[in-house]
Amino acid sequence: MNTAVEMATATATATASPAVTVALAFSAVLFGIGLVGFLVRRNMILMFLCTELMLQAAAIAFIAFGRMRMDLGGQVFVIFILTVAAAEAALALGLVVLLYRRRETLSAESWQELHE
Amino acid sequence: MENTTHAFPPRAMPSSEALASAPLLPWYVAVAIAAAGLMTVLKAGRDSVRRGGAVVALGGFGLLMVQALKLTRAGSGDLTTPFLVAFAAIGTIGAVRVITHPRPVFAALYFILTVLAAAAIFLVLAAEFLAFALIIVYAGAILITYMFVLMLAHQSPEDEIGRIGAEDYDRVPREPMVAVLLGFFLVAALGSVIERVPTLTREAAAIGPREAAFERAEALQRMPQQLLAQARLQDAEAVALAADDRGRVSFMQGETLQVRIRTNAGEIRVVTVDPAASVDNVQLVGLDLVARYPASLELAGVILLMAMFGAVVLARRQIELGEDERRKAAGMAGMVLDLPENERGGA
Amino acid sequence: MNLLPLVLAAGDDAGHGSLANAAIPVATAAPELAWLGWVLALPAISACLCGLLAALRVRNKLPAVLTVLALGTAFALILKVYLSRGPDAAPVIVHLWDWMNFSWGEGPWKSFQADVSLYLDSLTLLWMLFVTGLGTLIAVFASEYMEGERGPGYARFFFGVSIFLLAMSALVMADNLVLLYLGWEGVGLASYLLIGFYYQKPSAVAAAKKAFIMNRVGDLGLAVGIWLIWVNYGTVEYSALFQAFTEGGGAQGGWDRALIPFCLMLGAFGKSAQLPLFTWLPDAMEGPTPVSALIHAATMVTAGVYLIARMQPLFMLHPDAMATVAWIGGLTALLAATIGMAQHDIKRVFAYSTVSQLGYMFMGLGVGTAFGAAYHVFTHAFFKALLFLTAGAVMHGFAGQLDLRKLSGLRRVPGFGVVCWTMLLGSLALAAFPFTSGFLSKDLILVQAFSEPRFVALGWLGLATAGLTAYYTFRVWFRVCAGPVAYTPGEEAHGDHGDHAHHGHADHAGGFHPHAPRLAINGVLLLIAVGVLLSAVPGYMALRGEHNWVQEMVYHSTAVRAAGVAHVTTPVAFGLDPHGLVTVFGIGLGLGGILVALWLHLLDRRMADRLRTALRSNPLTGWLPTCMENKWYVDQIYDVAFRQAAWITSHLLHFFDRHLIDGLLVNGFGRLPMMMGRLFQPLYNGALQGYATTMAGGLILVLAWVAWRWLGAGGLA
Repeated sequence: MNTAVEMATATATATASPAVTVALAFSAVLFGIGLVGFLVRRNMILMFLCTELMLQAAAIAFIAFGRMRMDLGGQVFVIFILTVAAAEAALALGLVVLLYRRRETLSAESWQELHE
Repeated sequence: MENTTHAFPPRAMPSSEALASAPLLPWYVAVAIAAAGLMTVLKAGRDSVRRGGAVVALGGFGLLMVQALKLTRAGSGDLTTPFLVAFAAIGTIGAVRVITHPRPVFAALYFILTVLAAAAIFLVLAAEFLAFALIIVYAGAILITYMFVLMLAHQSPEDEIGRIGAEDYDRVPREPMVAVLLGFFLVAALGSVIERVPTLTREAAAIGPREAAFERAEALQRMPQQLLAQARLQDAEAVALAADDRGRVSFMQGETLQVRIRTNAGEIRVVTVDPAASVDNVQLVGLDLVARYPASLELAGVILLMAMFGAVVLARRQIELGEDERRKAAGMAGMVLDLPENERGGA
Repeated sequence: MNLLPLVLAAGDDAGHGSLANAAIPVATAAPELAWLGWVLALPAISACLCGLLAALRVRNKLPAVLTVLALGTAFALILKVYLSRGPDAAPVIVHLWDWMNFSWGEGPWKSFQADVSLYLDSLTLLWMLFVTGLGTLIAVFASEYMEGERGPGYARFFFGVSIFLLAMSALVMADNLVLLYLGWEGVGLASYLLIGFYYQKPSAVAAAKKAFIMNRVGDLGLAVGIWLIWVNYGTVEYSALFQAFTEGGGAQGGWDRALIPFCLMLGAFGKSAQLPLFTWLPDAMEGPTPVSALIHAATMVTAGVYLIARMQPLFMLHPDAMATVAWIGGLTALLAATIGMAQHDIKRVFAYSTVSQLGYMFMGLGVGTAFGAAYHVFTHAFFKALLFLTAGAVMHGFAGQLDLRKLSGLRRVPGFGVVCWTMLLGSLALAAFPFTSGFLSKDLILVQAFSEPRFVALGWLGLATAGLTAYYTFRVWFRVCAGPVAYTPGEEAHGDHGDHAHHGHADHAGGFHPHAPRLAINGVLLLIAVGVLLSAVPGYMALRGEHNWVQEMVYHSTAVRAAGVAHVTTPVAFGLDPHGLVTVFGIGLGLGGILVALWLHLLDRRMADRLRTALRSNPLTGWLPTCMENKWYVDQIYDVAFRQAAWITSHLLHFFDRHLIDGLLVNGFGRLPMMMGRLFQPLYNGALQGYATTMAGGLILVLAWVAWRWLGAGGLA
């Protein structure tokens, strides 16, 4: 903790690698676009695709921060993100297929029974 | 070999003045412009308006990039900057097309484009392994699955055989205003954090390579066989004369790694190994993965196993219930034996 | 015996003279007289027993017997204590038991004491004598009169009478204003119960309510007055209060102190039926006649006079209040007389006459002679009770017929001789025929009025009213008791149980025989007639400047300062001094009234109708008979001004309550959760992306908040 305080009171040499900041900005934008897409698209599969977009944005952010901190943990975590994305995609698509078979449509709005 | 304990040189934190000085308003303005453009793209009726919106969105994105670059020190990374911006732009364009394209397959393809752009950025960020892992796993596996399912679950009208997509629910977005508004707020909030992120404080040019060397040296020290091989490259004889492992001690000096070898004859020889050239990202990542996160590794495996089980269960249940009529109606009659006939279910 | 300074120096026209600063007698405690508590206890016991008998549905005259016994014993006790003391004894306080007695600090305004104690001075005894005496006699009268009601109604009647006597005794004998107020309310309650005795008649019920509500308005004034007294003087007990009055500090001391007599006055006007609260008294005639006689003629309505007489020292500190009392009394007297002239119901005529005579009493108090007022109370009690009882006897005998147009010549109906001759005696007294008791008491009041320059106009008013009084009184007598014999029976509307054989016998030929009164009625009438005659005696003595019993009683009470009568010798008008003026004009106007009544109602009865028609057809005077017959539309005015206003207000408030408070606030609050629920219901439509939107919104809110805090905290500190 003391080092943190020392660090905090030390004067700044505010520099940044453009890679990091651009990557972070890109990650934020990508996440926002992914969120918008998730809320906007009606096709169930494309909704999940936008989820994947968001996951990818998270991955980019991890890499950027890892680079900033010179910590390989960021990259390692992206491996896990990939793992989870793959597993989730598989299961999600399986469910989507089942749902499609019930209603013969990929529209997410055809499933609205879970309401008040 | 022992690890010499070393710590990274202490990071100097930016003072509060530095934190407070980066202005937030331009960021918000840029995000607002981009959001407006996006909304136009989503909602507009005519193509020309849509294209105009796209341009506006792009302009906003450009402003964003400018803001991001303002955080950087002049002169650092000049060569990579245009590539970075280009890749970010490509990725953004791809993402926007993902969410606006009326045909799902094309949306998936644009997603692949975004993945490629992200991979490129990974490369710039010195994460080579992950760049290609991303391409392999995402573009090569996940997206192919998506495509597969998309084509499996198509519902094209009778008179347009072969065209997949462009259904109503693909063309008309759902409540774009609220969504874009939320997106705006999100990006604004994230951006305000980014603007304040204590930036990398060491001289990128000066420190980067040094820190890279540090981590490589550290990694190399944990890979004795590799170290040995590298040392042998430099001075094979000395290595051959080494008595045993305990006679080798390595330590950092400048940016190189010195290996001091005590020969059987008691003589001390020093071999210089350049770590930067001897260890690559894949090895680093692998080492970190196994050394620091072994439990997570196992868990990831379990997750994948569960996913497999789940997929099998999901698929099996359908067939086990034997709902022939449903399968027929969905155009999936006799998946194994029959070819998909023209029994497409009525919409 | 103290020498009363009755005769004042010539030329002194103040009228109060040396009595103005006479010392108010100081009371002492007399615990040995604690047996006087029986005066209160006896009516209470009789009331309980009558109630019990009513519940047991006893059908004999036992309730009457009990009541008469109780009241008679009370009268005997009062008589005993009077005789043992004499009129000039100092007042005593008899403490019966503690009632309200607490203090919360030191100092004059930090304690409150109002016990059940009796304050016995001569004023009290004067009142109690005729209250209990007449009460007993009228209870005897009622025992025969109410025979037809034997059963629960009979017992209920005597229950009411007992309650009344209990409350009246408490009122008169109270030693503090709170006990007086208790009695005040109690007599109001008893009056309500008894007026509404025939509760199945809607008019009776309405009259009872009217009486009670009007009394309530007055009671409010009394209550405020008592409160103001406490605030200003720190006590509600007479002894301490009168000491405070003696020490002065009356006229000064702020507007609230000057307001006290007006508040008390309001209470008195309500109870004693003066302007503007008089319309209940005529309607109170719906009650049985003994009730009218006892309560609404002799006793209850004098409670207001008693109050002001008791508080005389306070009133004398405020000359404006005295003038108000006098003027209201005088105006009421005139107004009621004009209305009485045009009524056909005998009891109504007598009721308005009561209001008018009460006006005289208040006039007497206001011009400064409490002696005159008390004496008029005394005499009026006798002759008015007598008149009412005779009217009751007529009603009793003629199946409820009271319209004087339908009765005539009853003097010659067998069995009604006593009734008619006693009615004549009472009428003479009421009309102030020379040297009757009524004449003497009115004389005192009017003389006092003329003795003071500012009240001279009132004196003339009183004289005019005397003339009208004589006229309408003898209008009744000449119509009912004189002339050819002719009668139409009434519908015996009184009597729920309808003992038909009792109220006049119908023989087989279908004719009607009047039911002559028997011993109880005749005996009582005669006794009270004797009382009327005897009550003139003190007046004679006052006339001759001698001490007389009533004046002694008033002198030795707290109303000492108004116990004198001025004998001013300076001429006031027509060269006559006040006494001569009143004598001449009083006699003249009285005889004139009687003669006019003789002419219009005996010698040529159709003349009355012709006169009335002539008056009505003449546009100048056309309004006069109509207004008089319609009681000057006072009831209608009140209906519009108060009842309608209250009705409108109540509807407004009902609307307000129903729609604004209930509808908006209460129901609105009830509907609020429902509306809130419906507001948020669209969010739960089951659409996945809808939920996702909401979740994203929440997430972003949290994110923004975290970023805000993080920024505020200076980043990675």
